[in-house]
Amino acid sequence: MPVLRSVRDRFAREQPLKGIRIGACLHVTTETANLVQALIEGGAEVVLCAANPLSTQDGTAAALVERTGATVLAAHGESVESYRAHIEVVSSSAPQITMDDGADIAAAVHLAGAETLKRVLGGTEETNTGAMRLRAMESDGKLAFPVIAVNEARAADLFDTRYGTGQSTLDGIVRATHILLAGQVVVVIGFGRCGRGIALRARGAGARVVVCEVDPLRGLEAAMEGYEVLPSLAAAAIGDVFITATGSSRVLTGHHFEVMGDGAILANAGHFDVEIDLDAISSVASSHRTVRPLVEQYLRPDGTRLNLLAEGRLVNLAAAEGHPAAVMDLFFAAQALATEHLVRHASEMAPEVHGMPPEIDRHIAALELGALGVEIDTLTDDQVAYRHGWE
Amino acid sequence: MTTTTVLAPSDYKVADLSLAAFGRKEIGLAEHEMPGLMSVREEYAATQPLAGARIMGSLHMTIQTAVLIETLVALGADVRWCSCNIFSTQDHAAAAVAVGPNGTPEDPQGVPVFAWKGETLEEYWWCTERALVWPGEGPNMILDDGGDATMLVHKGSEFESAGAVPDPAKAESEEFKVFLGLLERSLAEHPGRWTQIGAGILGVTEETTTGVHRLYEMAQAGTLLFPAINVNDSVTKSKFDNLYGCRHSLVDGINRAVDVMLAGKVCVVAGYGDVGKGSAASLRAQGARVVVTEIDPICALQALMEGYDVKRLEDVVEIADVFITTTGNKDIIMASDMAKMKHQAIVGNIGHFDNELDMAGLAKVDGIQRINIKPQVDQWVFPDGKAIIVLSEGRLLNLGNATGHPSFVMSNSFTNQTIAQVELFTKNNEYEKQVYVLPKHLDEKVARLHLDALGAKLTELRPDQAAYIGVAVEGPYKADQYRY
Repeated sequence: MPVLRSVRDRFAREQPLKGIRIGACLHVTTETANLVQALIEGGAEVVLCAANPLSTQDGTAAALVERTGATVLAAHGESVESYRAHIEVVSSSAPQITMDDGADIAAAVHLAGAETLKRVLGGTEETNTGAMRLRAMESDGKLAFPVIAVNEARAADLFDTRYGTGQSTLDGIVRATHILLAGQVVVVIGFGRCGRGIALRARGAGARVVVCEVDPLRGLEAAMEGYEVLPSLAAAAIGDVFITATGSSRVLTGHHFEVMGDGAILANAGHFDVEIDLDAISSVASSHRTVRPLVEQYLRPDGTRLNLLAEGRLVNLAAAEGHPAAVMDLFFAAQALATEHLVRHASEMAPEVHGMPPEIDRHIAALELGALGVEIDTLTDDQVAYRHGWE
Repeated sequence: MTTTTVLAPSDYKVADLSLAAFGRKEIGLAEHEMPGLMSVREEYAATQPLAGARIMGSLHMTIQTAVLIETLVALGADVRWCSCNIFSTQDHAAAAVAVGPNGTPEDPQGVPVFAWKGETLEEYWWCTERALVWPGEGPNMILDDGGDATMLVHKGSEFESAGAVPDPAKAESEEFKVFLGLLERSLAEHPGRWTQIGAGILGVTEETTTGVHRLYEMAQAGTLLFPAINVNDSVTKSKFDNLYGCRHSLVDGINRAVDVMLAGKVCVVAGYGDVGKGSAASLRAQGARVVVTEIDPICALQALMEGYDVKRLEDVVEIADVFITTTGNKDIIMASDMAKMKHQAIVGNIGHFDNELDMAGLAKVDGIQRINIKPQVDQWVFPDGKAIIVLSEGRLLNLGNATGHPSFVMSNSFTNQTIAQVELFTKNNEYEKQVYVLPKHLDEKVARLHLDALGAKLTELRPDQAAYIGVAVEGPYKADQYRY
């Protein structure tokens, strides 16, 4: 993770986060460990819990504690109660910066009382779903501190959502089920930044991809890319593999489960496990059993089967290892630099959801190019003048 | 070494000789893109293996073919040429070939060529006959694409032996009627001509799947008059020209014909052979959603593995926007299918002959109207007002509506042709009246000749590695049955 490493080296020299406690709720993976290390070398204290009960890599969690002195509260397969309790612990540790993947800590500190809330300088948010939550808080007039939506950093977003999610979602599905993707009808519900990455990679694997959308702009884009665009109920009748990537709730529900073919595979790539309606799938089925780790097979009364992966939780982290390091490198560099920016400038920033400062965004991209050994051009003074001129 | 011929004024026919200068410039550009042919010229400059060869060629008269023709001449051959399709000639190429590198339009010194874009059927067969009937000694080699020249010689001989030509009025197609009419006249005016020509032919080299099919039929029936080399089934031909050539030129033809946005369109590709694979890829690359039709389960499964939907024509005829036939078979899309298509559906063929689309049936639909939009683009309006757009009258649209495959891939095909001509001419006594394929080491040679131009660095087998897999260090590297 060369980009993060270069940020870490500077942090170690300059200590921009000295005296800052960071309350973090992230997926505890090897890549995250690198971010935590960078923050600690920058002078911060880190209290970390898991953003998802199934995404923790236990070995990583243990190593983090040992090597960096971070406080880590996370275990693979922990119960929902444990997951929630850990969020409470992090929130009550009185962090000055919240670092979230799904806005759990940010939400928790707002509910924890004035004492805790007033200590928070600002927060960072890693995922689209979290940013949506925070924007909802902002419209309600409830957001008390500035939050930088790191997921909107263009450098990170391109890699993370489109290419990272594309690869790692299919990776999760293949590791869980061992199916051949070539020739399968793969229905991608949602053609946003994640969905289009998933569609692209599924097509690359030889699948016939069908896209479902509610947004006419996105639906049109999918059609122009040569995907078949169908209403979800029509897609349900022909699909072999269903992947939700909407950030919405209950996009696959009872009506869909009733018409799906025998052996249909259901996976979710969105942040929360609300996209596949778990109550509906239980009611449609007469029984269920675990056929492979992370594959729950639901038997319909007529004897046909639906296979749910990873309990409907984000399949790339639950059934695989999340994004490859190269993708997370950019993402976590963005997290670290956003944190530094907040420590310096939070007092001047309105309590809103902010995008990534563009100069930091470009800086990250430039670091990545350096790591790839790619050289690009710079504008001449004339060209700069031309861009700003109008006569 | 070079034969400076002054062409007799009657011994060529092209659209416009003054186009020769433009043609010569494009030939120059094409030579840069055809390393295989240029390398063969160099290799054989001294030995002139085609000295004494009198080659009749029936092959699309394009800029790329001009480079082939001048390669054959450079190797010592005398050549006469016609096109193998009424729409595929590039007039400036034909002019440049007639004028030759050293001639002028006033004083053409090139090769007798009979070809122009937009021939009638009568003109087409007239050109073929002129290319086959030489002043002085007749041709001793044929270089064919689709087998029309070969068929003329064979049928001519057959009817001369029988003493009569079947009644043209009873012919199964307009074209065959014209063909029989020509033979009727030639039997009357020049008895024994075709038998004599046939007797002088040492062999034919055939370019395309459809022509090869005809040759195998004749070989099996025992009616083949001379040995044939199936150039199509050189790997460096069919797995390149048919596949990557079509991948390039199908969309080129459609764009130049109708300029329609392909992204988001549903396109049916009938057939998933080499041409179908290239055609499907061509359309998918532009963002079209491609549906494949197939009769062969292996090809169908290949299409599925590539993520294409495989359906029957009747399942998609009412919803698709574009229909392209690639099968080498006949009657793929009938007039009754076309009647069911969407308004402004686009219909085209990229197979060698025009019998894949039922053009005759379409013309006979009660009340149908044909409106010409521009050369090789026709709108056919049904009585209910619904129209379809047909490209190149059902003839191969990449050549009819564009300029066929680009030079680089044609260099592959034509280097094979040249090597095949040399082989068949110089070692004629080693061949019987059968159909042969070039040996693999020549196939690999053709591939080698094209690597440098693309900046490739080939790895060399070490002797122990070669021994390990049982091949020679210099190849051939694969068993004959290997499929690539």
